[in-house]
Amino acid sequence: MVTPDKERAAEQAVPHSFKKKRGDNYFMEQKKIFSEPVKYDLTFAREIYRLENGSYIKQCMNCGLCTVSCATRDVMEYPPRQLFNLIKLGKKEEVLTSNTFWSCTSCCTCKARCPRGIPIIDVMHDLKKYAIEYGYTDYPQAAFYKAFWTEMSSRGKMFEGGMTARYFLTRGLDEIVKAMDMKDVGISMLKHGRMPLLPPKKIKGLGGLKKIISKAQELDRKEAAR
Amino acid sequence: MEKKIAVYICTGCGIGDALDIDALSKVAKGEFKVPICKTDGQLCGPEGVALIKQDIENDGVDTVVIAGCSARVNYDVFKFGSDKIVERVNLREQVIWCHTADDEDTQMLAEDYMRMGLVKQKNMNVPEPYHVESFSRNIMVLGGGLTGLTAALESAKAGYSTILVEKEAELGGYVGKMYKQVPMKPPFTDLEENCIPNLVKAVEDAGVKIYKSATVENTAGAPGMFDVTIKQDDGTVQERVGAIVLATGAKPYEADKLGHLGFGKFPNVITQSMFEEMAVAGTPEASKVAFIQCAGSRDQEHLPYCSAACCIESIKQALYVKEKNDEANVYVYYKDIRSNGQYEHFYMKAQQEGVVFVKGDVTEITEEDGKLTIEADDKTMGTTSLADEFDYVVLANGMVPTAALGDLMEEESTTDEAAAACDEPKASTPPIIKANLLNLVYRQGPELPALKYGFPDSHYICFPYETRRTGIYAAGVVRAPMDMLSAVEDGAGAAMKAIQCVEVTEKGEAVHPRSGDMSFPEFNMNRCTQCKRCTEECPFGAINEDEKGNPLPNPSRCRRCGTCMGACPERIISFKNYSVPMVGNMVKAIEMPEEDEEKPRILIFACDNDAIPALDMAGINHMQYNSWVRIIPLRCLGSLNLVWINDAMGRGFDGVLLMGCKHGDDYQCHFMKGSELAEIRLSKISETLDRLGLESERVRATTVSIMDYDKIPAMLDEFAADLEELGPNPMKDFQ
Ligand code: SF4
Ligand code: SF4
Ligand code: SF4
Ligand code: SF4
Repeated sequence: MVTPDKERAAEQAVPHSFKKKRGDNYFMEQKKIFSEPVKYDLTFAREIYRLENGSYIKQCMNCGLCTVSCATRDVMEYPPRQLFNLIKLGKKEEVLTSNTFWSCTSCCTCKARCPRGIPIIDVMHDLKKYAIEYGYTDYPQAAFYKAFWTEMSSRGKMFEGGMTARYFLTRGLDEIVKAMDMKDVGISMLKHGRMPLLPPKKIKGLGGLKKIISKAQELDRKEAAR
Repeated sequence: MEKKIAVYICTGCGIGDALDIDALSKVAKGEFKVPICKTDGQLCGPEGVALIKQDIENDGVDTVVIAGCSARVNYDVFKFGSDKIVERVNLREQVIWCHTADDEDTQMLAEDYMRMGLVKQKNMNVPEPYHVESFSRNIMVLGGGLTGLTAALESAKAGYSTILVEKEAELGGYVGKMYKQVPMKPPFTDLEENCIPNLVKAVEDAGVKIYKSATVENTAGAPGMFDVTIKQDDGTVQERVGAIVLATGAKPYEADKLGHLGFGKFPNVITQSMFEEMAVAGTPEASKVAFIQCAGSRDQEHLPYCSAACCIESIKQALYVKEKNDEANVYVYYKDIRSNGQYEHFYMKAQQEGVVFVKGDVTEITEEDGKLTIEADDKTMGTTSLADEFDYVVLANGMVPTAALGDLMEEESTTDEAAAACDEPKASTPPIIKANLLNLVYRQGPELPALKYGFPDSHYICFPYETRRTGIYAAGVVRAPMDMLSAVEDGAGAAMKAIQCVEVTEKGEAVHPRSGDMSFPEFNMNRCTQCKRCTEECPFGAINEDEKGNPLPNPSRCRRCGTCMGACPERIISFKNYSVPMVGNMVKAIEMPEEDEEKPRILIFACDNDAIPALDMAGINHMQYNSWVRIIPLRCLGSLNLVWINDAMGRGFDGVLLMGCKHGDDYQCHFMKGSELAEIRLSKISETLDRLGLESERVRATTVSIMDYDKIPAMLDEFAADLEELGPNPMKDFQ
């Protein structure tokens, strides 16, 4: 006989993700995204196909393996394959305002598992870049990315304090209030020497690094112009 | 002539340690007075074999009984010429490996098997092969499409005179009319030029005799001696052939029935073959085309099965559109894309070319100003999706085998007296559709029996090409829905089977699955009551009837299953080395302990094809089961004659178990109907049991596949436990 205890244990053994069905669902019963019929229009898709890894999304076969592999699928508005389908539908606004690519942690599990060899994290990077380029930067992650980038390119290494400051400056006062919730983490990091109080020294060949970056950016622009 | 028997007991593989060999020898020498009985430490070794050969040479031994390992191993070692009888007593796999060593019951089991083996050989004779008169080695291929051409080419290349019959004026079939074909070679990504013209040339160059605009008026005879009447405009010709490959292909599913997808309503809703025609004429420039998969297929109201080729055919046609206009928007609406095997690469290629695949069911197609709009229940988006401005909508309308096109043969009402007299349960008769392909002059009907959906029945795991008419091999889409690559494989495979059939028939041997068997059923006709049961129950239509209603066997059509032998109420059908008395005497040879000895006896009739190998496997894995069982292998459960069960119960056996292959739509019976027939016959046994005052649970049938070997001990022990509950068979003490 199954005792209530055992039952509970069995329930707990079910991975969290199977109990909570957000994002994509794993059993083909679909979340309704649109109440109105949607219409296929490939104009936007063609634009995305032109991104560095954009044309890979053509070969998605809708298997859903990426979704079930994704660590952050529960917070994603659209799991990867649905996002790809939205692109094919021409839902530009929905795609660019979605949190999907911002939620991607670049853990690489999806890329490693995709049977069609789609480098999903690289597609996500392309989409982030595209979104920033077209001003879709409402997400905190977008500000975080920017802060990270400015910090790295000006110092050649990371200074957590500086990055946090930059981030909060862009995000405004509200975020600072929210950030107070995290002060214990910060203090603990300071105590354990995980975060310096003062900015570290810049790296030695910062000039060289800057050159590398600008060369890369130049190549990138050339690529985009093609 | 008196047989000269010698018994050899092998003491290797642990047999000598587990059994009392002297006592075993005494059974042979004492009870059966066998003149030569020897033991050897390793009979399968060179010395052991030499020992046997020596006795054959010096003492004229012609019947060799080897007590040792299973007949399923070392059969090539213990081979002493076709004029010798070799009988194997399985002391290893079915005795010492699955029963306690040095045990009274194990010893009794071994001794009983020795008795059964000795009785068996007494009832066996050396089979004489049956030779067909005016034998023909020619091979005929029906249908000149991709499969038929391949089969004809393979058979001609192997050196067999080959005849090809094509209904149309030109060879090539459905594939011949294609603009381009799906890839047939690595990397499986690119459209290929149609292979038919080259294939036709190769077939012509190989010297294949070709009849075009020709149909088969009738096919009479049997393997090695089919007489086929071929009809052309200017009269008929007769050809004698040894074997036939049926490759008549399939027809597209009737699009007129697809009105719900707009066919017939909108001129630009077309079928795959119509699109193919347009492509041949120069693909129309189109900027937007949709393909709708499973149009008719996988649909209970139309074709319940998957037509297997239409997914990749649509992918191919989508690439036609892209080839012509790179900018065109192409959509494929699908349930699942079934791009089997290597065609996954082709599917991906189409995606890379920008073809959009929409997973969803099309709910409506409408038209405005000549442009079509598709509304679908979109599975990925979980909502209704629309796409419009289509120039063409192409329906992937699936295929129907040519064998399914025709009226179902009516079952003849049996007014016959003898037949009516035995109104017992009968096996289901297979549907035969009058498709006008072979027009067989067989008593059982003009075409191949079908299994489902009109596809010819064949054992789909082990013998996919072998239909239920020996010597006739179905290949390509008439056999099962398939893509081109599989069809080519099928054509070659069926040609190989036809060649095999010709070769073994010439030698007088059986085709699969009893390949090499030279025995065939013989009828003691003067006791025949013309009940027709043999004719009707033979799964392969091997028995015709003469004008007087007597059975007329066609030995080269026979697969030697013994179903007729099991069916005959008069017990007048027998093989040289397999007969009702033979098995009956084996049953009688088993010693029956008195009731108070408390040693139950369970008789098992196990089919040679799966059950016996499974029992051997249980032994190989040293699984233990009770030693009350006595196993008798049968060629097929279909050969089970009820008299054996009656005898066994009358002699005091506590129970009888039949072990055969699975039956039903997904049967695994190697003779298609054997295990089903056995169970039907079994349903008649309860009356006899009642008369004897015995419970009907004592006689049971069960199905095992070779993979079930690990379940065998439980199966046998459970049965033994159930019998124990019923108590001993009271007939024991009447002996
Ligand atoms: S794993 Fe790859 S092919 Fe499968 S849905 Fe995700 S992206 Fe598409
Ligand atoms: S091959 Fe594809 S289109 Fe054809 S029936 Fe099967 S799944 Fe449907
Ligand atoms: S039932 Fe079996 S053995 Fe008898 S004629 Fe038919 S194929 Fe041959
Ligand atoms: S041979 Fe036997 S089964 Fe066949 S018709 Fe005669 S009596 Fe009936």
